[in-house]
Amino acid sequence: MRGFAKRGLLLSCLLAGVLSIASSMSSAQNVSVQPLNVVGTLPTAEWEAYRSKFIEDSGRVVDNANGNISHSEGQGYGLLLALAANDRAGFEKIWTFTFTELLIRDDGLVSWKWDPEAKPRVSDRNNATDGDILIAYALAKAGTAWNEPRYTTAAQKLAAAIGKHTFGRSGGNVFLLPGAEGFNAGERPDGPVINLSYWVFEAFPVLANLAPEYEWTRVWREGVTLLQQATSGRVRLPADWLSIQSRMQTKPADGFPPEFGYNSLRIPLYLLRAGMTDLEWLRALKVRWSAENEGVAVVNVVTGNVRERLNDQGYAILSAALACVLDGTPVPDTLKTFEPQLYYPSTLYLMTKSWLGEKHPQCV
Amino acid sequence: MRLASSAITIAVLVLGFAAIAQQVGPGGTQPSPAPSPAPGTPASPNQPQVDESALRYFASQGDTRRVNAEIARLRALYPNWTPPSDLSQLSSGPAVAVDPIIERLWNLYKEDRIAEVRAAIAERQSTDPNWKPPEELTTALNSVEARRRLTNASDSSQWRTVLTVATENPNLLTCVNVDVLWRVAEAFAKTDQANRARDVYTYLLTNCGNPGERLATLQKALTVLPETQVADLLQFERKTGEAPDNFDSIREELARRRVERASNDDKTTASAEDLAVVERLIRNSNEPGPVLVLAWYNYHHGNPARALELFKTALDRNGGNKAAEGYAMSLRALERIAEAEAFAYDWRDKAPENMKVYLDVATALLTQDPPPRLEPRVVSRIVPVVTSQRFPDGAQALGWYSYNTSQFATARDWFRQALNWRAEDEPSAYGLALSTQRLNDKAGFNAIVAQWRNRSERIADLADGTTPVRPGQPRVPQAQTTQPAPVQAETPRVVVERSTAVEVEPRVRTTTATGSTSGRRNCIMTRSADGMAPDAALTLGWCLMEANRPMEAVNAFDQAIRRGSARTREEAAYGKSLAYLRKNLTSEAAVAAAQAPQTGQRRVELGASILAQRALAAYRDGRYVETILALSERARIVPEQNDLMLIRGWSYFKLGRHKDAEKVFRAVQRTGYSEEASVGLNAVLEASIPNRQ
Repeated sequence: MRGFAKRGLLLSCLLAGVLSIASSMSSAQNVSVQPLNVVGTLPTAEWEAYRSKFIEDSGRVVDNANGNISHSEGQGYGLLLALAANDRAGFEKIWTFTFTELLIRDDGLVSWKWDPEAKPRVSDRNNATDGDILIAYALAKAGTAWNEPRYTTAAQKLAAAIGKHTFGRSGGNVFLLPGAEGFNAGERPDGPVINLSYWVFEAFPVLANLAPEYEWTRVWREGVTLLQQATSGRVRLPADWLSIQSRMQTKPADGFPPEFGYNSLRIPLYLLRAGMTDLEWLRALKVRWSAENEGVAVVNVVTGNVRERLNDQGYAILSAALACVLDGTPVPDTLKTFEPQLYYPSTLYLMTKSWLGEKHPQCV
Repeated sequence: MRLASSAITIAVLVLGFAAIAQQVGPGGTQPSPAPSPAPGTPASPNQPQVDESALRYFASQGDTRRVNAEIARLRALYPNWTPPSDLSQLSSGPAVAVDPIIERLWNLYKEDRIAEVRAAIAERQSTDPNWKPPEELTTALNSVEARRRLTNASDSSQWRTVLTVATENPNLLTCVNVDVLWRVAEAFAKTDQANRARDVYTYLLTNCGNPGERLATLQKALTVLPETQVADLLQFERKTGEAPDNFDSIREELARRRVERASNDDKTTASAEDLAVVERLIRNSNEPGPVLVLAWYNYHHGNPARALELFKTALDRNGGNKAAEGYAMSLRALERIAEAEAFAYDWRDKAPENMKVYLDVATALLTQDPPPRLEPRVVSRIVPVVTSQRFPDGAQALGWYSYNTSQFATARDWFRQALNWRAEDEPSAYGLALSTQRLNDKAGFNAIVAQWRNRSERIADLADGTTPVRPGQPRVPQAQTTQPAPVQAETPRVVVERSTAVEVEPRVRTTTATGSTSGRRNCIMTRSADGMAPDAALTLGWCLMEANRPMEAVNAFDQAIRRGSARTREEAAYGKSLAYLRKNLTSEAAVAAAQAPQTGQRRVELGASILAQRALAAYRDGRYVETILALSERARIVPEQNDLMLIRGWSYFKLGRHKDAEKVFRAVQRTGYSEEASVGLNAVLEASIPNRQ
């Protein structure tokens, strides 16, 4: 109960907030994004298990927990994992589907939702910026790795569209809008609204190379600042959807559950993959996620109550990755064999696995 | 040899794509410069452009088996297609060893498994970086992918993507891909470039030969182009040849649309030819659509009788709500308002328009002129609709209806209700002022006057005692209008039958309310009131009045007067007066009214009725001075209503008092009761201008 807070407690909370903002400001300036190789970091067997379960011959990545729809995010992960497995053929299929079915918007961004039961199959033509970033990033990496100019050209166009249409401004700050329409100030009462898990940090320097006219560095740094701001409260977890109308006091966006949910679970993964392992929040999260505590879960960021514990190995491995990086703990054997069931945790599993394979092979 | 040789692009499209370059603008992806038209020959009229790329490739590889299979496939797809004659020249001597992957790629391509073709190429290249797929295949893949993107973009209304893809892939814009051409045309139209869209259709009609696709092209044009441009495209109709066009359906549709446009606009007339086309469409189909068009046309062009027939036809063809709406409106226009109300009632809940028509018709029914005989069930079904719809005009109409049937308390309630729903409704305020005045409700009257005297001259006049004019029309009291809410069951009433002015609705509901149903039965069986208890005799009297047997009712009322209490006697005397009034026995009515003292209000009502009947009787007999005397006497106790004012006017006129007559007619005209007043004024005018010839 926020209105119930004792004065002393409130004061110390406020002080902690101010301090953490001050420190976050400096640390956002100090952190940097480390490049990843990606290529060849995923064992063929694991990729084949994923591919045969979730990817159709047409190159469509199927979200089997979600009415078998496809989305730009899934296509982006698929591309990135195909690259990690060095599967050119698989990459080409996924790209063909993405290019012909979803890359149709007038502004050059990717429509996010494709439903085999709908007509037209693009059942929501809006973009989702994380999908755009994942796709552009995978194309850029693949273009370089396989020396394929078609990919590089497509990455360049998409990066420019992202920079042009999804970078929001407020005061002197530049941030990432979750979509080209509907989230900015003036487009909803509590706008701008952001989603911190849409910052795929590792992609920013790569895309900055392709579309240097846009302020990629300022945007990812703002992501770090906003993350630190949003995790400075008592529960220390950001809501998936945040109103940043007041940047120094983010709050859960209207109309969304005030939850650290399936979206935000990816934030630590993206931080780790980008090499931002120094952030203090990751240590706090590691403790929370450890088996002795509550583990990986959907948590109400206001009350701190757990709504749902997440046991799939795709979530457990996120916790294991934190333990590996921060304490040098190896990934437990129970998580070493990939058993794909559902699209999303399976994807997180391989995204984590491929990164561990590249940066921390000793843990796996 | 190039795939593009089978692709026709034409200068007219280039014009269009030059415009895309501008329209996409500097911020978007840079479109390639306007493609120069391929010098290809236009397709022969009946032969679509066939993708021969795979065929030519197999031929160039000397793969006879594949060539024959491909020829068979293409023949199945395009029956009129003949294999190119130059295939043999492509075979470069003895067959070179065919790379097996090529065949696999073409097979996948033919099965439309494009992603897998791409994947196989990538796979091959990953092991053999110098390997390249045949150029024909690359071109074919690019085309297929472009076509898919264009189609998907078009399905999602991403018109700029459609135009960009078309610009970058001019080889798509051929008669093989008529669907692509249609989508490009639509994208032009949706981006405000109708002329470019027309150019695409023109290209198609000039170059592509399939008659079905040519007709469909015009159907597409109908959905996106202005009609004049569609009409221009009709010139490309091919009247001769193996498969001539028949664009008659397009002409008919254009004609139908012209009539449709004119159908809602009484200032626009449709040509006789166009109307004849719609008549033909009606005859040749069972659809309600064209019937409705012609029906509305007739409705709005002064022919409601024909409109009514057509709406009936449309109803028979399941024309639904619109047909019902028009049918009710036509009935109303034909002044068959009672029928209109009954019909519209059944349809009122089907759509908001139908409800609106019902409320309009019901309001018209209540306020129509001359006054109707409304059955109680009609009024009582209007009431709940007006109430649930909170329709102020309907409440006002019920107010006037009640007022004119002398149900002043009910009238007062309805006018109040109307003002609740529309506070600024001056006529309802006026009605409320009149009703409270008639009810001697001083507080109510003063309240409404205080609110309105600065806004309404006639309400101010009422308050100042200036001779008021009773608004509305006289009514035959037929039904008891129910209180606004809650809706009451029909109450027993006395029907006063004469259709002349100022009949009196007795306010005896409380005394007769009990046992009215049984009373009716009783009074049909009972022969004589002699020996009856006074209250029973009174009930019998009202019952006989209701059964329209006034002379028997007089006997019953007499029995009640002889033996009844003061209150019963008063009631019975009142009833007896009404009975005589109904028989037009004015003097007897006056005598009866004097048999027992009446309350002030009843005295006024009876007196006014008696005097009105006297005036009318005198008028009928040509005794105009007496008419005026009776009317003047009556005007001292109640305001004179329009119809009686007209009688007064005509009486003056007959007496040669033209100035007085004119004054009265003008007064009536100002209240809106103008048609009859105009007749009177014309008569005065005629009489006062001697011999205009």
